[in-house]
Amino acid sequence: MSDWITITIDGRQIQAKDGELLTDAARRAGIDIPVFCSHPKLDPLGACRMCLVEQETPRGKLLITACTTPVREGAVFHVSSERAVDARQGTLELILINHPLDCPICDKGGECPLQDQTLKHGPGKSHFWEEKQHKAKNYPLSDLVLLDQERCIICWRCIRYLQEWEDKPQLGLFHRGGETVIDKFPGTELNAYTSGNVIDLCPVGALTNRLARFSYRPWELEKTPSICTHCGQGCNLRIDSRSHRVRRHVARENPAVNDEWLCDKGRFADGISFSADRLTVPLVRKDGRLQPATWEEALSRVVEGLKEVVDRSGPQAVGALASAKVSNEANYLLGKFMRGVLGSNNIDYREGSGLLADPRGLPALADVHSADLIVLIGCDPAEEMPVLANFIKRASIRRSVPLLIIHARRPELARYPGVFLNPAPGEEIPLFDALTRATLEARMEAGAEAIPDWLSAETPPAAFPAEAVQEAARLLLNAEKPFIAYGMDYAWGFGARGILAALVNWVAAAGHTERLGFLHIQANAQGAGDVGALPHQLPGRRPLNDEKARAELEALWQSTIPAQPGLGYSGMIDAAANGLLKAMYVMAADPVGEKPAHAEALKQLSFLVVQELFLTETAKLADVVLPAASYAETSGTFTNTERRVQRAPQAVRPLGKSAPDWLILMHLARRFAPDKQNAWNTTSPEAVFAEITRAVPQYRDMSWENLGEEGRQWPWDALSVSRELQAHNGGLLNEPDDEYPFRLVVGNQLWDGGTIFAATPQMAHLGIQAARLHPDDAASLGLAAGDAIEIRSQAGAIQTTLHLDPNIKPGTIFVPFSLRDAPVGTLFDSRGPRTVVAVSKVEAPVAAPA
Amino acid sequence: MSGLKDVIDGALEIGRAMGVTLKTAITEPPVTVEYPDQPMAVYPRFRGRHELRRYENGLERCIGCCLCEAACPTGAIYVEAEENDPEHPLSPGERHAKIYEVNLMRCIFCGDCEKACPTEAIVLGHYIDLAQYDRRDLLLTKEDLLNPPAPNTVIRPDA
Ligand code: SF4
Ligand code: SF4
Ligand code: SF4
Ligand code: SF4
Ligand code: FES
Repeated sequence: MSDWITITIDGRQIQAKDGELLTDAARRAGIDIPVFCSHPKLDPLGACRMCLVEQETPRGKLLITACTTPVREGAVFHVSSERAVDARQGTLELILINHPLDCPICDKGGECPLQDQTLKHGPGKSHFWEEKQHKAKNYPLSDLVLLDQERCIICWRCIRYLQEWEDKPQLGLFHRGGETVIDKFPGTELNAYTSGNVIDLCPVGALTNRLARFSYRPWELEKTPSICTHCGQGCNLRIDSRSHRVRRHVARENPAVNDEWLCDKGRFADGISFSADRLTVPLVRKDGRLQPATWEEALSRVVEGLKEVVDRSGPQAVGALASAKVSNEANYLLGKFMRGVLGSNNIDYREGSGLLADPRGLPALADVHSADLIVLIGCDPAEEMPVLANFIKRASIRRSVPLLIIHARRPELARYPGVFLNPAPGEEIPLFDALTRATLEARMEAGAEAIPDWLSAETPPAAFPAEAVQEAARLLLNAEKPFIAYGMDYAWGFGARGILAALVNWVAAAGHTERLGFLHIQANAQGAGDVGALPHQLPGRRPLNDEKARAELEALWQSTIPAQPGLGYSGMIDAAANGLLKAMYVMAADPVGEKPAHAEALKQLSFLVVQELFLTETAKLADVVLPAASYAETSGTFTNTERRVQRAPQAVRPLGKSAPDWLILMHLARRFAPDKQNAWNTTSPEAVFAEITRAVPQYRDMSWENLGEEGRQWPWDALSVSRELQAHNGGLLNEPDDEYPFRLVVGNQLWDGGTIFAATPQMAHLGIQAARLHPDDAASLGLAAGDAIEIRSQAGAIQTTLHLDPNIKPGTIFVPFSLRDAPVGTLFDSRGPRTVVAVSKVEAPVAAPA
Repeated sequence: MSGLKDVIDGALEIGRAMGVTLKTAITEPPVTVEYPDQPMAVYPRFRGRHELRRYENGLERCIGCCLCEAACPTGAIYVEAEENDPEHPLSPGERHAKIYEVNLMRCIFCGDCEKACPTEAIVLGHYIDLAQYDRRDLLLTKEDLLNPPAPNTVIRPDA
């Protein structure tokens, strides 16, 4: 296939790859063959006839479609012969017969291939003066995508995308001839999580962005190549803005990360940069109320407040919450401030020290494209990273790669061939042990070492069919290039250490430890750790007792760094509750929103600063609230789950008087420690990144410039993590009993009830804002779908709506994170999410989700 | 001696010229327009202050397409479009201008915006009283443009 051959186009000899499509060969040689239906990421179809050219064949010159014709040695084509030109003009005239030509009000106008090609290849006039066909205009396919059937040129791109990538055929063609229209299949909805990609693909203005509708004309946009900051995949996108307001996001190609796709959350949920709810001025508590203040006042108040606590109770009485939602620069500077200025290691973020993530994240996202087995453990890419989920589906469909899924509820991807194992919380360790044992047994047959005592002592769990366990063990053992990802579900809370050890045992027994990676859900969960927002590690993920690292950083920061480890995220909140911590600096985190009971702890503090976009539940308790700038309003870098450091440059100016995190911290540090001003003199986020490359060894070869538009990964082997077979101890979970009969299962769903959607009101009602039970369990409780229910654990109770879902394991209840007005954190006890709950009907109905 | 002759000749010339002036002042009517007390005469295609026109049924012609803005060589126009409320549309079709501004401090009255407009919504009218005391008053809003003041002009026949 890849041998170079010679073909002739318009009398010019060009080099082509044997068997590639003529359109591709011509494009490489700079010969323009217009296309509509053909697209590099979709299978060739030949639907629109725009690419007609002549080919010399033994039967004479034939008109063929270039987009479906593979080239062979010696083939001769004519692109600009009279007949070919005439045929293409005819095609365009045909397409335009019924085209409404409402370019002035069409969102595609100005970047419309139909406009461009009509100018370049069209006949310039039409034979027709009859009335045009009228079809549906302004027809919503969903809350996000709008269809204008009159503009559709029947290229099938949208249909093919949904089929070939999303594997959800939700659009089709109906009727025939001039009456052909695109529509949803009867009774279905366009609800694929990456449906917005059809907008980018549509070569005309038939499919348009319903949220961005009429808010821009393409020629007036400023285009900033950036990334999505909604999840750990870090899909590349372009921010299109005008007059300092973000107008839309469109996908940007990066083959290693997102190919050229975005999920609908990343594409449409862009409201946080201009939401009317944003904080636009600093707030300072005066007379018990938060009141608008100048930056001068607010910063002096922060300096005073922190100084007072440090003077009275020492730096250990101050803690900082960093965040996986904001940039490396913000996290780095907050760490530098805590360690280098205040002298405390009390810094952590929610996905930080409490999460047993692999410090290197995932080996590489692109590995799914070449993997021969995909193993997903306690993660659900279809809800958490829809673009990655599409790659996984495609691997299954196109390359028959088996999927081995271990999850507490049945995720969407479990519909693909492979093995699905469904351990309830508490059953994971026996399951992984059984898998390890089966793997070792299989290896023993091949003459390998014996099974260790501590493992063979376990009894095989009855909950899992022996064949499925055998099959799963065999799949991983025999795989050569498996893609193995574990996620948050098994890496957090009570017992996670044991689960991870048991998992590692299995993977180690199969000999694939270097392919086991962690799928970070938050955009910068990897980066925040890399740059040192952790209580036990310095920037570069180096331990606090690493003398060399300390000395380096002390020179860079012109200060002394304390050696004793600080408090972690929950440790700080506990310390606040019992009065050990007196002041907190919270950046882009909302512990009270996650768990209202945390408010009691934070109220004990004598000083609380919150640096945020919105007035969150935590911010409402603060003494000073500093308005921060969002992802689009300042430059920064984010490190995705595969350690790829990517740029998110400033696209618009900060809203109101809000200021970028780095700038706020810069001013704060300079005021707090005038003697350290030489260590705090970076004047741009790019300069802060330059400093990060000096502080973080893994980032040493990077610079803002050389990150380029596709980012740079730091090497997997820059850190080594020991992963060997070892005995483990899971610890006992609370068993369900009569009082609390259900095990709680938590997890993410794409359409959650969080800030991102609250700030984009057109999306706020998407998805199912409800807890889910298996229909049988609901029936036995006498509950029906839509009932208002109360979920109660020993720690607390929340009220929400009930949704019935057969994918939920009987005996468990699924409560998503960020459920609107029902923070699942309320139910967590000291053991975190792994608890048992009772479910009951509430008579007074709670407000139904809109 | 010629000095005296020059003086006399000069005086005679001035006297003759004054005579012409006097004669014209008495016999011919004045050509000066007492603007603004009297209306100014302009040609039909004179390009004065912009107006946004409406259809007879009262709907705005402007569909917020921004083509005028794109055509304007000085960046004097700013348009933000919005979707029509189907119940109470401001213009025919799906789209109207939410914001429409013309910055007269930039405008060079070239008329390109007129030419670009697909609906003949923006036109340069005959209103010429453009002086203002405040710069801000030179920024015409959509309201200003939809409700142009009556021009203090008379139309001169096309020569
Ligand atoms: S799809 Fe293209 S050609 Fe058709 S109305 Fe829109 S801009 Fe014009
Ligand atoms: S809606 Fe767009 S992408 Fe779909 S068939 Fe029509 S023109 Fe093609
Ligand atoms: S007349 Fe010319 S300069 Fe003035 S707004 Fe119109 S296009 Fe711009
Ligand atoms: S005045 Fe005319 S050209 Fe300008 S936005 Fe309105 S319709 Fe378009
Ligand atoms: S591009 Fe070849 S037939 Fe459509």
